[in-house]
Amino acid sequence: MSDTATVRMTDRMPAFIRRLDRAVLIAFACIILLLVLGSLYSSSFLSPEYLLQQLKVASFLGVIATGMMLVILLGQIDLSVPWVVSTGAMMACAAAAYGDIGVALAIPFGILCGVAIGILNGLGVAYLRIPSMIMTLATNAVAQGAMVVYTGGFSPQDSATLTMRYLATGALIPGLPNVVIIWALVGAGMVFVLTRTSFGRCVYGIGNRERAAYLSGINTRRIVMIAFAVSGGLSALGGILLAGYASKAAQSMGDAYLLPAIAAVVLGGTSIVGGRGSYLGTIAGVILITLLQSILSVMQMPEAGRQIIYGLVIISMLLLYGRNPASR
Amino acid sequence: MQDPEPLFRMEGISKRYGGVRALEQAELTLREGRIHALLGENGAGKSTLIKIMAGVVAPDQGNMLLDGRPVSFPSPAAASEAGVVCVFQELSLIPELSVADNIMIFNPPTRYGLIDRRAQRRVAEEALASAGAGDIHPLALVKDLPLSRRQMVEIAKALARKPRILILDEATSALTAADVTKVFQVLKRLRSEGLALLYISHRMNEIAELADDCTVFRNGSKVASYPAGSKSDEEVIEMMIGREYHSVYPPKPDAVKDVKPVLEARNLSWGDRLHDISFSLKPGEIVGLGGLDGQGQRELLLSLFGVLRDLRGSILIDGKPVRIDSPGAARSHDIGMALIPEDRKTEGLMLPMTVRENLSFAALDQLAPSGIIDGKKEQGLIDGMMTLLSIKAGNLDVAVGTLSGGNQQKVVIAKWLMRNPRIVLLNDPTRGIDVGTKQEIYQLLRRLAQQGAAILFYSTDYAELIGCCDKVLVLYDGAVKRELVGAEITEHALLASALNISEAPKPLQGRAL
Repeated sequence: MSDTATVRMTDRMPAFIRRLDRAVLIAFACIILLLVLGSLYSSSFLSPEYLLQQLKVASFLGVIATGMMLVILLGQIDLSVPWVVSTGAMMACAAAAYGDIGVALAIPFGILCGVAIGILNGLGVAYLRIPSMIMTLATNAVAQGAMVVYTGGFSPQDSATLTMRYLATGALIPGLPNVVIIWALVGAGMVFVLTRTSFGRCVYGIGNRERAAYLSGINTRRIVMIAFAVSGGLSALGGILLAGYASKAAQSMGDAYLLPAIAAVVLGGTSIVGGRGSYLGTIAGVILITLLQSILSVMQMPEAGRQIIYGLVIISMLLLYGRNPASR
Repeated sequence: MQDPEPLFRMEGISKRYGGVRALEQAELTLREGRIHALLGENGAGKSTLIKIMAGVVAPDQGNMLLDGRPVSFPSPAAASEAGVVCVFQELSLIPELSVADNIMIFNPPTRYGLIDRRAQRRVAEEALASAGAGDIHPLALVKDLPLSRRQMVEIAKALARKPRILILDEATSALTAADVTKVFQVLKRLRSEGLALLYISHRMNEIAELADDCTVFRNGSKVASYPAGSKSDEEVIEMMIGREYHSVYPPKPDAVKDVKPVLEARNLSWGDRLHDISFSLKPGEIVGLGGLDGQGQRELLLSLFGVLRDLRGSILIDGKPVRIDSPGAARSHDIGMALIPEDRKTEGLMLPMTVRENLSFAALDQLAPSGIIDGKKEQGLIDGMMTLLSIKAGNLDVAVGTLSGGNQQKVVIAKWLMRNPRIVLLNDPTRGIDVGTKQEIYQLLRRLAQQGAAILFYSTDYAELIGCCDKVLVLYDGAVKRELVGAEITEHALLASALNISEAPKPLQGRAL
């Protein structure tokens, strides 16, 4: 019965220590490395103001990457992020034009639009069995078209509501931007869902072996659809926050968030084929990507060079993870 | 027999996976022109040993000598180059390619840099013929072949590489009785041609018929090597399991009396695979599904479990017609059905996930009525199952894929027993499992039946059907050919009805353990 004794012992170890894997550690190590390199360039990289500012910038990506992570854990992908972000922002701003009720419902309405697109993605992927890469790319195009029709191809005139601006730029707790709190809440929610709920277990199960999950009696299609709906909703929320930050929505405001969202999730150790990954990794990935972008721009690297370095860093990080000891 | 230089020798081989010791100072000696049987429970280290021989896994320490010279195989290709070829227990064929493509996949004949299809087909035909499977068309797609034919292709693929040492890991477990005799003829011919064969099987009669030498493994080390026939079956089994070995099958109780059937199937038909199947299943009863492999047994189990679409006919639970359109519906409280699927690696388990997560996966709706998992309840149920099935896992939080095959199968069974199912469907649950675990599963099935569960049990092993079942339905071409009850269940009757003939031929496939 000594076997059961050892089982108990390891059970008592906190879950987050057991789950820490190499990728997460590497991502955090890279964050520290970036900060050290940055501080060699300019000491302001280690100042609390700069770090807090980066955390604030990271929060927008963090909210969007949270939804992306859920979809990637299923072994799917959501390429509709760019225009769901824009749709959420534009629809929230548009609602604000309809009097007091519109202002009050602006944020829920924007999120709802994102959820609707997500449900459309989910229907296509789960029920019609369209590969998610195609399905979400198509809904992205549809959302883009719809928004172009709505705005006539120009940046919309409606501006963000006060609530949106307050959420994106204000600080309920002095010194701590609201948007960071929102990311923390969204993240805490996701950690809870992934580790404590049956939905979370099913997500990991489907990502590992959909057939086994289905034969275990799980309604796999429903889970996939919910995951896409959540991803759509969180993308839209990200867009709404961005609109609040910039005071208004813009045509291609979401374009800059697709690759970073996927990269953040994957750099954080979530397997791109699904089934494995922790939210802690995604946090690390989001911060890493944000710092990288920031440092490249502070160094006044031209845009083209920034894109090249950015892409190369992502590829080399993924190579680094591929260096797990062979299981031979 | 004691020639000075064995063809192949392994010494002091050790291998660990994480904290689990798979092999400890293992040794093995193979000689030309002999069939060497490797025996041991699952988890004894046999699979790891042959993976090391075939270059799939690198040993932590130890030496391998081929023709007296030290060798090491960094990859399966290197082992194959040196003449060591393995027919693996897990099928390694690519379903979308043709039989010929698969057989020649390592080294296709080329002309001007392109694959020479005609030459490839010719070589593949030769390989199939030498494997005793000349009836398989080389251009057929592997995915269209039933499991037993695929296994024959697998053997042909190994022979096409002209091995000096051929390893067969449970190569016959998926084969029909007729194929087994053919394979045996092939193996005996190869032996006379001077090959060294390493043969792994859980079927004692196969070993008795084939082997020249035997080696028994237990807990990662060699227990003994001896010439075949010098030890009795009981002695061998005691060496394998390290404890005394009594009757394999639990005693059967008297036939179930007048109870209403819990499950009734009426005129089930599906495509051209199932034809008008009707039967009933009573609580406390173990009903077997017999017949040759691929006669619709799997489809029948899947249809009951709600996996197949466009099923015709009706299913009655407690006398009332029900519609079961998904596994989710089948497992619901009113029906209470469970299916132990055929392939534990792809259908039963999520191998990279932990033992804990796998165990509670099918019962999540009960553990988390509000969506939030009740950790205490989960732990309690898991503890109960670990004890009930005596699952050997170092830790609940290791990946289930690191457990031995027998323990993996126990996890698959346990995850469904957590729901307390009233109807348990099992699809060949003992395939590729060691004697000890098989015995535990038989006793478990009987105990479940005594507690009132109804059990439908498909097995490719006739001995199991005879030993375990109160009633056996023999399927042929998607229809129930014969129903055998009680003492009628004999090897003779099973085989005769499986082959759909009235007079039985000489039994081909004897008792398995």
